[in-house]
Order: sequence, then structure tokens, then C-alpha cells
Amino acid sequence: MRRRLLWSLIGVLVVAFGGFAGNLVAGNHPSLGLDLQGGASVTLEPIGTYDPAALDVAVDIIRKRVDSIGVAEPEIIRQGDTVIVNLPGVKDQKAALELVGSSGEVLLRPVKQVGTTQTTTTLPTGVTTTSGPGGATTTTLPTGATTTTSPAATSGGPGSVRRAANTTIPATTIATDTTIATDTTIATPRAVGAAPPTTVSGVTDSITTTADDRDRDAVLPGQQGDFVYLVGPTGATGKVFNNNAKAEISNGSWVVVVSLRDGAAGADQWNALATACFNGTDVCPTKQLAIVLDGKVISAPTVQEPVFSGGNVQITGSFTEKEAKQLAKYLQFGAVPVRFSAPTVQTVSASLGKDSLKAAIVSGLIGILLVLLFLLFYYRVMALVVFGGLTVSGLLLWSIISWLSKTNGLALTLSGTAGIIVSIGVTVDSYVVFFERLKDDVQSGRTLKNSAQRGFESAWRTILAADTVSLIGALVLWWLTVGSVRGFAFFLGLSTLTDIVVSYFYTRPTVLLLSRTRFLNSGRVLGVRRTPNATLGDQ
Amino acid sequence: MSGKMSRLYRGETTVDFYGRRRIGFFLSLFVALVTVASLVSQGLNLGIDFKGGVAWEVPASKTFDVQHARDVLDANGISSKDAKVQVLTSGTDQRIRIQVGDQPTEKINVLKEAFAKDAGVNTDLVSVAAVSSTWGRSITEKALRALVVFFALVSLYIAFRFEWKMALAAIIAMVHDVLVSVGVYSLLGLEVTPATVVAFLTILGFSLYDTIVVFDKIQENDHRFKTSRVSYGDVINVSMNQVLMRSLNTSIAAILPVLSLLVLGSWVMGAIALQEFAVALLVGLLTGAYSSIYIASPLLGMFKEREAKYAGMRGHLALGPEMTRLILTGAAAGRRATAQRSEATRIDEAVEQASKDQDLETASTVLSHPPRPRKKGRR
Repeated sequence: MRRRLLWSLIGVLVVAFGGFAGNLVAGNHPSLGLDLQGGASVTLEPIGTYDPAALDVAVDIIRKRVDSIGVAEPEIIRQGDTVIVNLPGVKDQKAALELVGSSGEVLLRPVKQVGTTQTTTTLPTGVTTTSGPGGATTTTLPTGATTTTSPAATSGGPGSVRRAANTTIPATTIATDTTIATDTTIATPRAVGAAPPTTVSGVTDSITTTADDRDRDAVLPGQQGDFVYLVGPTGATGKVFNNNAKAEISNGSWVVVVSLRDGAAGADQWNALATACFNGTDVCPTKQLAIVLDGKVISAPTVQEPVFSGGNVQITGSFTEKEAKQLAKYLQFGAVPVRFSAPTVQTVSASLGKDSLKAAIVSGLIGILLVLLFLLFYYRVMALVVFGGLTVSGLLLWSIISWLSKTNGLALTLSGTAGIIVSIGVTVDSYVVFFERLKDDVQSGRTLKNSAQRGFESAWRTILAADTVSLIGALVLWWLTVGSVRGFAFFLGLSTLTDIVVSYFYTRPTVLLLSRTRFLNSGRVLGVRRTPNATLGDQ
Repeated sequence: MSGKMSRLYRGETTVDFYGRRRIGFFLSLFVALVTVASLVSQGLNLGIDFKGGVAWEVPASKTFDVQHARDVLDANGISSKDAKVQVLTSGTDQRIRIQVGDQPTEKINVLKEAFAKDAGVNTDLVSVAAVSSTWGRSITEKALRALVVFFALVSLYIAFRFEWKMALAAIIAMVHDVLVSVGVYSLLGLEVTPATVVAFLTILGFSLYDTIVVFDKIQENDHRFKTSRVSYGDVINVSMNQVLMRSLNTSIAAILPVLSLLVLGSWVMGAIALQEFAVALLVGLLTGAYSSIYIASPLLGMFKEREAKYAGMRGHLALGPEMTRLILTGAAAGRRATAQRSEATRIDEAVEQASKDQDLETASTVLSHPPRPRKKGRR
């Protein structure tokens, strides 16, 4: 027991100090948010004609995209008709530019080949793999790499496209959800004109859907990253659809239904593409049509109709509700007719200024000092345990924030600091709950040694209940909100978790071990005197 | 330390929180009404992050920096405190961006010229644009939706871990906190910024945390008093007095850094941006501490007293020495365990007992039995 306590204590100290030292050596430090440090400011100007309402939707898409890179708190402003995106951390200017600058346009491109990201570059010419389940066919490429392509889809990812049920022509074909066997080893599809396919990642990294190569063949990764697609030139954009894509249940499964715009800009373009794919011509040998967003194939359904005369398109597949809704959302966004010109980047200074930051740090530290003095006055010797605990929590938090600043673009804003400052209260509270209980016990005649274990168990129950509520709050806010509320939720969750870890792995062993020493069992511990005559019976 | 402080320190207070619940309720009701009235009449002072406004971009020069921009604003009757002034840099080109809330057109032009004059550049080089809010409607909607989900989940958790009446009381206390905080902001006309909103959320979490700790104690005492006839009001009073020191300590530990932020950071060191933020935290922390003592627990008592189990003892509160006895021994005094008596005799006896018990306030004298002899052998 004693040894286990000691190990737990040593463990948490090593993790805390090790993490701190490691980050220090690696030069990681918490990066500060826009309000405290400034960052990169990306300006996007819309070009051509557009609907002002569509600009709001575009802002929403950009916000979502920025949120998806990590935990930074972006600031997105519409200034007149331009959209300004401020991102904390100037270091990542280039990454920020790529992220914000991509088109947000949905492209429809015929699929020439499908493969998994597994690569086998050493296959000699002519070697073929056995056909996998689901009727996968094997094609031998001229370069010798072997690619298995499959007529259709995996669950959730690619599906099939057919006319919606409400068209006048009866649905002649049934969506067959054949599956690409994930266990078949598939070699890299070679991009036309690209270097020899050494690795897929090498190829896909170099290809993005910029305006230049949307009209050429390209190798694009699937959304989940488990497939790669060799797609042909863009046949149409998401603008062929009306802004009415929605997910619904048809025949017991989720489908996405969207209607086509009339005329040359809509139905005509779509039908030309659909016909080519349905007939499996050279342009589209797989009969699959890739729906591409920001250089990723979000779905590649098989076309089931040559001509969609009813004006409605239905995409089936074994979608979950979430996947169907996601796809519907993408199609809707893709139909937003706004394009931005090449973005410009500037650096933007902190909105609060250096003096604010300095004042916050100085007064924050003094505040902590006051708390420590108060505890020292109140709990005497035991306050030293709290000092140690706050140090351990502080080091852990610092290490995690530094590390995430480097890897995930986390930025510490004033809002985040709010979470941390109040978390001092919550952290101290764990000790207060515990010590008050010890105090009660000591006062009623128990020795510290006696009451420590029992006291911790009951305090631990309380701490866990209260921290669970904080965690629920942090998770809900994290998932459902954006921007600074999200940043706050992150820090709240982080400090709550730290509190739980420190309570169990630091406070428990420290107090239990200390309670066995002679020093703490004599005289006034915790500021109260033991009343030896008044030993209470067990309640 | 002596007297009240000493008793507080040792957790020997016998404050009748439950009996005085109406004071808290009336106070909160009053504040809630004032909040609603204030919201209707003057609303909230939303910052530029919520409302958007106007932005000028002026080339920076030796004579024109952030401080100059602020001076120009102040000279033209716009409070620079609420303005957002930033430096934009691309390459060697530096521009100063000044954003303030909505202004009439003449004012915008006057300022445009003032900025140009101060920076020593042609008026054409100063650009003006209307700016949308960075905190759009969609963010507010998402945050509110998240809050509703959060309330629902927390209620479920409390109902599961404790009981649904506690969940109800805790949620009402949280709504109370929001009302009071918003009321203070509306009344004082303080500017609401994204940081303030986040501070409020922090406070909600803290208040809830506080309430849970109190409820945990109430639940523990409820089990402890299962065998003796005590009213739920007693359970609450005993629990509140037991956790009083904890609540005070925790609140002090939470408030000290915030107070330091407000007094030192904002007033002494002059970082005005910190003021709104610290005020929000301070108001919230105080409300949160207040609501878990004066709103959540008494409400819980009122819900629980209707239950058949406690209905018989409803309205009977152990006060003074009797409460000490409850706190220390976990058992009601002998006569409390017997059937109820007429109100008159009850009061008479209470007075009599009180005079008798005046010095029975320490553990050693309350106990009627000598301590059980300590067991020999291993422990």
C-alpha cells in the first residue's frame, strides 16, 4: 500500500516535471490568441456576381473549416463585401492561407480508377491480384502497378446515383451497394503525367484542386483517407444543383435528394456527365462520379441512369443519418455561387495590447500568491500540500497547452485565461473539501492517520461528482459551439481533467503518506487541536 | 480567534439557513424583477464584436500610431475604451485599423479627415468600411443551443447521481445566476464582449460545481439521519453549516485572483480591457456562491418537505444547541424522536432546553455516553 502510494506520487511528479522540461527543451511554449498577441489576417474578396445572402453561408463554411484544423479561435468579419479571417499565430501564415483560400466549391468529376492508400510499388508487370469479394475486378496498368477497381461503393462513402422516385420514368435500376474489398491489396493508381507512383501520399500531397488542375486528371484522397481516386477533368460544379439538397429516408435507408437547375447551367451539364458515366466511356470507365470538395472525394456514387429527365437526383448508399446529412450539406454549400479572388495575408496586432497582457499576468500571479497566503493562514502546514498540488497542476497544464500550441494551433486567449483563472478556485476546492473533512475528524478525536483514508474516499466522491458536471459542460460546449466559446470549453475541460488526475495521483498519496508521519500527528494540524477526550464512536 | 470567528473556523456554527429562506427568495425575486425591467427599458450594451460598426484603415506614420488613433477618437467624442485599434502589417507597409460601433455618416467623414490630417496623408488613402460582427447571430444561436443541451444533460446526470428534485433545484439556481449577472450588466450599462460571455459560462460551471458539493453533503446527511425523526429542513441546516466553511474558503480562493485582476490589473495598472472581464467573473462568482446557499438548497428543502416521509416533521427546525447536537451526534434529541406536541409546549420546552443547554456546545458534553473503549490489536 505504502509503496503503491509512493509510486503514484513519483509517477505524477515525473510526468509533470518531465513534460515541463521536455517542452522547454523542445522550445514549445503556449501561443497566445488574437486578442493577446495578434496573428495572420486573411482578406478574401468575392469576384463575379453573387448573392449577398450566399456570402453569409460562405462565412459559415470558412468558419467551420478553420475550426476543423484545431483549437485556435478565429475571428471572422465581413467588412463591406470582403471577408476577413483573422487567425492567431503568425507562424502558420502559409497553412492559414491554404486553409482559408481553398474554393469551397463542389466539383463533379468522373472517376477513372479507385484504389486504397496501401501501396505496393514493387509489383512486377503482369502480376495480378486475385479478385476479392464483392466482385472486384482486377486491372493491369501499363506501368505494372496493379489496381483493383470496383464498380461501386463502400458503406457510407461512395453510393449510387439514380433518379429520385418521383420522376416520371420508373426507376429501372436498383442501387447495388457492392463493396470495395478493403482487404485486397491495391497498388497506386498512376496519375497521368505524374511521376512514377512511389507512394500515394507523395502524389496526393502535390495535387490540390486549384483552378489549374481542375481541368486535368488528378489523384484525390477520399474523405476517410482509406481510398484514393484517379479522377478526370471537372465535368460540372455543384452549381448544377439547386440549394435544396436534403437527407431523407427512402425504403428504410438514408438517401440524399437534390434537384437540378434547369437549362444549360444545370440539367444539361449534369446529364452530359451522367450519360458518359452510365455508358462507361473512356472518360468515366468506372461509371462512378466523384463529388469533390476542397481536393477530397466526399462521395463517389455509381451513376444508374443515363439521363435524369425528371430533374431530381437521388444518391443512395448505406449512409448513416449523419453521413447523409453531411453530404446534403456539402451539396448545398457547393451550390453557393460565390468565388473569392486570391486571398491576401497581413499580420494583425493584438487587439488588447501588450500592457493588458502584462497587467493580466502580474495581477494573476499576485492573485495566486494571495490565495496561497490565505491557505497558509487557514490550513497551516497542510497548505504546503496545496502549494505542491498547484505547482503540479500548473506544470501539467503548461505542458499540455504548449504541446497543443505547437501541434494543433491552440491559442490562449483572454477567454481561455478565464477558464484557467476560475479553475484555480476549483482546484483549490478539491483540497478544501478534503481538508475540511479531515479537520472535522481530527477535531472529534480521530488521529490524522485514521481519518486520512476514509476522508479521501468521501471527498473523492464529492470531487468526482462535481468535476463530472464540469466535464459534461465542457464537452457539450466543445461539440456544439464555435469560436471563443469553443476555446473556453477546451480550457475548462482540460483544467477539470487535470484536477481529477492531480487529486488522485498527487493529493491522495501525499496526504496519506504525510498522515503517517509523527510530525503531523502531534500538535495542531490543519489549525485545529485534536480533542483526545472526545473520541467519537464510529457512526 | 474567539467567539463567532472561532466557531466558524471550527465548523460549529448553527445558522438557521432554512428558516430564513424567504429572505433569500424575496431578494432574488426582487433582483429578477429589476433585471427584467432593466432589460426591457435599456437592454444590454453589446460590444462591437456583437454589433459590428465602422472601420477606418489609415497608413501608419511616425506621427500616427495606435495611441494617436485613440486620441483622435476621444477628441471627437467617441470613447476609445470601446474601440478596437490594431496594426496591420504586410511587408514593410503598416496600416492602423480603427473599429468602433455604428456612427452617423457625418461623423464617419469627420473622423476620416481627422485621421488623414493626423497621419499627414491624403484623405483618399484612408479607407472606410462597414464591418459586420465577429460574433454573429449564428454563434449566439449555437451557444444557446449548447447551453440547453448542457442543462438537459446535467439534469439527467444529477437525477441519476442524486435525485431529480436536486436537478430541478440546481437548474433553477443556475437560471437565477444568469438572470442576476445579466441584470447587473444591463443596470450598470457595462459593455458585453465575447470575453464576458465566456466569463458567464465559466461562472455557470462554477456555481453548479458549488451546488453539487452542497447537495452531496445533504445526501450524505439524509442517509445519516434516516433512523431519527428530523425534518428535511434540519438536514439542510445541518449540511449547510457543515459546508459553510468549505463554501467560504472555496469562494475566497476563487475570488482572490479575480479581485486582483480587477483592482491591480485594471485599476492600478490601467489595463481597461480586463475590467469588463473581471467584473463579469466577480459578479458571477458572488452570485454563484449566494445561489447555492440561498436558492438551490432551500428550494430543494421545499420540494422535499412535501414528501410523505418528511411531511410529518414539516416546519420543525432544530435550532441552536439542538442543531449542534444534530451536527455532532447525527441523532435528534430524545424528545424530538417522540410524537409531536402542541406548539406552546414545544416552544416552552425549547426555551427551557436552550437555557439548560447553553454550555452543552462542545462534543464532550453533548455526548451522553462515555466513548467506546478503543479496540485492541491491529487497525
